[in-house]
Amino acid sequence: MAAMLEPDEPAKRRPFKFLGILDVENIPCARDSTLHGLLGSVVAGFGHFLLTSRIRISCDVGVGGFILVTLGCWFHCRYNYAKQKIQQRITRQGMKNKLYEGTHLDPERKRNNRNSSN
Amino acid sequence: MAAPAQLGLQNAASPIMEELIAFHDHALMIIFLISSLVLYIISLMLTTKLTHTSTMNAQEIEMIWTILPAMILIMIALPSLRILYMTDEFNKPYLTLKAIGHQWYWSYEYSDYEDLAFDSYIMPTYFLEPGEFRLLEVDNRTTLPMEADIRVLISSQDVLHSWAVPSLGVKTDAIPGRLNQAMVASMRPGLYYGQCSEICGSNHSFMPIVLEFIYFQDFEVWASYLYIV
Repeated sequence: MAAMLEPDEPAKRRPFKFLGILDVENIPCARDSTLHGLLGSVVAGFGHFLLTSRIRISCDVGVGGFILVTLGCWFHCRYNYAKQKIQQRITRQGMKNKLYEGTHLDPERKRNNRNSSN
Repeated sequence: MAAPAQLGLQNAASPIMEELIAFHDHALMIIFLISSLVLYIISLMLTTKLTHTSTMNAQEIEMIWTILPAMILIMIALPSLRILYMTDEFNKPYLTLKAIGHQWYWSYEYSDYEDLAFDSYIMPTYFLEPGEFRLLEVDNRTTLPMEADIRVLISSQDVLHSWAVPSLGVKTDAIPGRLNQAMVASMRPGLYYGQCSEICGSNHSFMPIVLEFIYFQDFEVWASYLYIV
């Protein structure tokens, strides 16, 4: 929802987007993946240049390195992020069920009753 | 609801919308990388002095640019299909709500309760209270319990409409003579706004949807209050 700004509150700036499409500030793992990709690109490209002294091919290696490192970091980070979200959901559900423990709303009690009736 | 000039998706209020946002991020990252590669290749093409006018075959590059896009498409399709089938899962719903489109308002019926039905018209601008949203508020909000699977049956009385609530990740066509089913579940209480999403005449932009998700016990009180009224 749009929040009304207080008079002394600074106006929110637009989020920075890589190539105008990738919002690195708000998408989880985007910033880390892109920064790792840039680092990998510099390392791969510069390293290739130091070994071969060929500028054009080193640039190609740099771009290729950027894509591969970004993609690799992205999948790794998103996988861990998804695991974390699932764990948070389980924890939140567990905390909520703890409140109902021992009462008629306890899902464990309902499950046990169902199993014993079967 | 959306902030002014917002381009991205709204914050998720349902598990399905969370999955959709995650998929959107995934697809966007792939698009970003492909765009970067294409930009780089364009810059190479524009700055090279080399030309080759007698290429007869290029097996290796043909293999690469066939297999690589196929793999990219598989990487996009698999999560997409997973979410598609997830949206079609129908667990035992706690409540059934009928949303019927008219020109130019929505009517809602709670069939589980006898005689609980109302129309939902847009709130005219001159009736808005301070803090309310222009072209989004309605006179009667659709109140629903949170953290419950709710089945919404969507149809239309006259022409095509579409019942859409972006925060919940739902958009279903309201087709006259047809009953479409959607599942809605909110993880937290609050107000969720939507608008008609199929052109239906002059006031197509002026038939919003407002869902008010509240706690179970409050919902029971609300439903019993409407009975009395």
